[in-house]
Amino acid sequence: MPTIEQFLENFAVAVDFQEPVEVKAETELASLPEWDSLAALGVIVMFDVDYGKTIVGDDLKNCNTLADLYKLLG
Amino acid sequence: MGLSTLHNVRFAGMASCVPKRVLSNLEDCAPKLRSERERLVRNIGIHNRRICADWQLFSDLAVDATERLLQELEWQKDEIDALIVVTQSPDYPIPSTAIILQDRLKLSQTTIAFDVNLGCSGYPFGIHLLGSMIAAGTIKKALLLVGDKSASLNDPLFSDAATATALEFDANASPMYFDLNSDGSGYKAIIKPIGGHREPYAIHHGIPYKDAEGELHMPDELILDGPAVLSFSTQRVPPAVVRALDYAGLEKEAVDHFVFHQANRLINETIRKKLGLPTEKVPSTLKDFGNTSGASLPVTMTVCLHDDLAKGKRKVLLSGFGIGLSWGICILDIEGAKFPPLLES
Repeated sequence: MPTIEQFLENFAVAVDFQEPVEVKAETELASLPEWDSLAALGVIVMFDVDYGKTIVGDDLKNCNTLADLYKLLG
Repeated sequence: MGLSTLHNVRFAGMASCVPKRVLSNLEDCAPKLRSERERLVRNIGIHNRRICADWQLFSDLAVDATERLLQELEWQKDEIDALIVVTQSPDYPIPSTAIILQDRLKLSQTTIAFDVNLGCSGYPFGIHLLGSMIAAGTIKKALLLVGDKSASLNDPLFSDAATATALEFDANASPMYFDLNSDGSGYKAIIKPIGGHREPYAIHHGIPYKDAEGELHMPDELILDGPAVLSFSTQRVPPAVVRALDYAGLEKEAVDHFVFHQANRLINETIRKKLGLPTEKVPSTLKDFGNTSGASLPVTMTVCLHDDLAKGKRKVLLSGFGIGLSWGICILDIEGAKFPPLLES
């Protein structure tokens, strides 16, 4: 399991922010400017390829913060 | 059925035709959307697409591809015993486009002709269907026309193309291996819900509505659930490839080219990485031809592989997946087949 810091770094790459954005564990996904369907695809791929974990769109919908997202790895 | 083998079927040739008109996902979008569009293009990997002229149909491109292929093969039109069209862009809801094309192409009236309603997964299914008819022994030469007219100005994924593939009976042909699958529980993942018998067209379907972002849409547009399609493609395709290779008794290294349906870069790269395949064995036409639905396998073979496939015997794995949901693999040897360069019409 990666540290939350590594996870946040990977998350930022997966979402492909146009402008650098500071993401923290308590950051709410809905507050991110690019939290859209494309970002969701990037994050599903990140879980699959980088962590060997299968998640679906509904798993993402149930997450409020990045910490919630990180917990999906467990 | 899933796994199966066909004997006595030879892949004789293939031609692909795209419209001349090029759409740029970056240039041809509203200036206010440019930066968002750049991010999208980076991720889907599609820069340019081909779109039919207003008057142009899938069947028009298919006629051009077929005429060129028959010329290259030096096949006579009265030798064609069967014509199968795999499309979701028919000339009319009914009758079958294949039957109209029997007449347009001046094929014999003894030709078996019908349509198959499959999209992105259609190519391996079409090869299997037509190949089964040939393997049975009575059909000697036949054509498979695959493609769609699905490009639109607003959607950055889809691109138009039509392709013609020639198969023939040959007792010395290498076996073709298939793994063909369907999961109708996912039918809503890619759907055009209006215009069939469940919900016929009505006056209110002609009225645009605004989505959450304020973009205008028509109620009869294609609906695509991106995360569901991504999960389906990246979860189902890699194990199917492994299963088909195992069934054919092949190691990955024995395959010269792995050609996947060109969905988008995120999906295709995930599949490639999960299978541990080197980029040089996995050709892509996403950048310039986008997602050409069922035509994407033949278009990619025509654009990227026609030189190599003309050189000698090559083992090729083809994988189509998408609307249905439906996914299929075909492993075949190609040797001495005719591959005219890409046609533009």
